[in-house]
Amino acid sequence: MEELKKKLKEQIIEALNLQDTKPEDIDDNAPLFGEGLGLDSIDSLELMVLLERQYHIKVEDPREGRKILQSVQSMAEFIQSKQPA
Amino acid sequence: MKGKCYIQGMAAISPQQTFEGDLFSAPLVHTDSNLLACMEPDYKPFIPANSLRRMTRVLKIGLTAALRCIQDSGISIPGPIVTGTGKGSLQDTEKFIKEIVTYKETALNPTPFIQSTYNSVNGLIALQQKCTAYNNTFVHRGFSFENALLDSMMLIQEGTSHTLTGAFEEITAEHFYIKSRIGFWKENKTDSRELYQHLSPGTIAGEGATFFTLTGQPSTQTYAAISGFKMLYKPAPGKLSTTLKDFGESADLIITGRNGDSNHEHFYQELDSCFPGIPQFPFKHLCGEYDTAGAFGLWLAAQIIKAQQVPRQWFPQQAVLSAPVNSILFYNHFYGEQHVMLRLERV
Repeated sequence: MEELKKKLKEQIIEALNLQDTKPEDIDDNAPLFGEGLGLDSIDSLELMVLLERQYHIKVEDPREGRKILQSVQSMAEFIQSKQPA
Repeated sequence: MKGKCYIQGMAAISPQQTFEGDLFSAPLVHTDSNLLACMEPDYKPFIPANSLRRMTRVLKIGLTAALRCIQDSGISIPGPIVTGTGKGSLQDTEKFIKEIVTYKETALNPTPFIQSTYNSVNGLIALQQKCTAYNNTFVHRGFSFENALLDSMMLIQEGTSHTLTGAFEEITAEHFYIKSRIGFWKENKTDSRELYQHLSPGTIAGEGATFFTLTGQPSTQTYAAISGFKMLYKPAPGKLSTTLKDFGESADLIITGRNGDSNHEHFYQELDSCFPGIPQFPFKHLCGEYDTAGAFGLWLAAQIIKAQQVPRQWFPQQAVLSAPVNSILFYNHFYGEQHVMLRLERV
C-alpha cells in the first residue's frame, strides 16, 4: 500500500504538472480538491484518465468518482480493491 | 476600410527583446537555424501558478502579451476581445492527436483537446480579466490577424470605445518539419541577419504574440492612427501596383514583409518600383515568417512612428531617419496569396 501511494503521488505530479510539488509534500489523507493540493474540475478528469491509463480502471459513475478522488489514500484503496487477488 | 482607429496600447512577445526593456537599444537576436523562436518572459507576474501549469507555450505568450497590452493602454477591463491565429495551439493539437493514436481513441486527456481550440487564448483572457463582452477569434491563414483588425475597426466605427485586438502563433518541431517538406523554409541554413541578401526558395520560420488596444479617439499616449487598410487575395497582374500607388502615395517610410523568398520576391519588387526613394524597413529578419507576422510588423511600425526613430541594432544599415515620419505604408503578404496594406499616421 505504501509503495502504491508513493507511486500514485509521483503519477499525480507528472499528470497534472505540479511543478513545485514533491511526493513528500502530499499528505495521504489531505483533500485533493479545494484545500490541500487545490485541484479543480479539469484535474478531476485528468485523474480519471490517469486511473484508466495507468491502472486500467474505468470509473463509470461520477458520484463514485467524487469519493475515489478525495485523497491519495482513497485513490490507493480504490486501486487496490480493483487489483486481482 | 474608411475611418480611423488609434493604437492606445500594445505589447509583443517575439524572438527579439520586445517585451521588456528599451526597444531602441535592444540587441538584434539572430539565428542560422532557419527558425526564430520567441524569447519567453517570466509568466509568474501575469498568470497564477495553478493556471500556468496547464498551459502550453502559445497560450502563455498569448495571454501574457494580452495582459501586458491592457496594462500599457491604461484601460482596466477590455471591451471586445478580437484575435487572429493561423494555427492556434499546435503543441496541444499535436499532443491530442498523438494520444488518440497511442490510446486507441480511449482514455483521452481533456486538457490538450480543450486548449487546441483556436479561441483558447481569448477564453483565458476573458476569464482572467472577467470580460463578458464580444469575443471572437479569426482563423484565416495569412489574413487571420487582418480579419481581427477589420472586425475591431468595424466595432469601433459602430461606437465601441475600445477593443483588445491581437494575434498569436507558435512553431513546433513537427510543424517546422511538415512545412519544410512543402518548401516553406530555405533548404540551406541562412543567417537571419542576411535574410534579404540570400534570395532562394523559402524563408525562415518564426512565431510570436502581439496585442493592441484600439480606440476610437486619440489620447496623449496614442502610438499611431490606423488610417487605411486594404486586403487583396491573389491579386491579378497589375492590381497590386495600382492599389499600392493609390494607397501609399503620402508615405514617408515603408515597412515591408520581405522575407528572402525568391518565389514571391516579385511582389516586393513591384512595391520598390511604385515608391523609389522611400526608405524601406523589412521586419522578417526579426520575427521570421508565420501566418500572423503582420501583427508584429504593425507593432514595429507603430513604435517607429511614435518614437520617430528606428531600433538601431535591428537596422544597422539605415539606423537614422533623415526626415520626420508622418505616414507609414505597411505592406506584407503571406506566400503570395494574402496581401495586406495598412496606412499609419502620426498623432
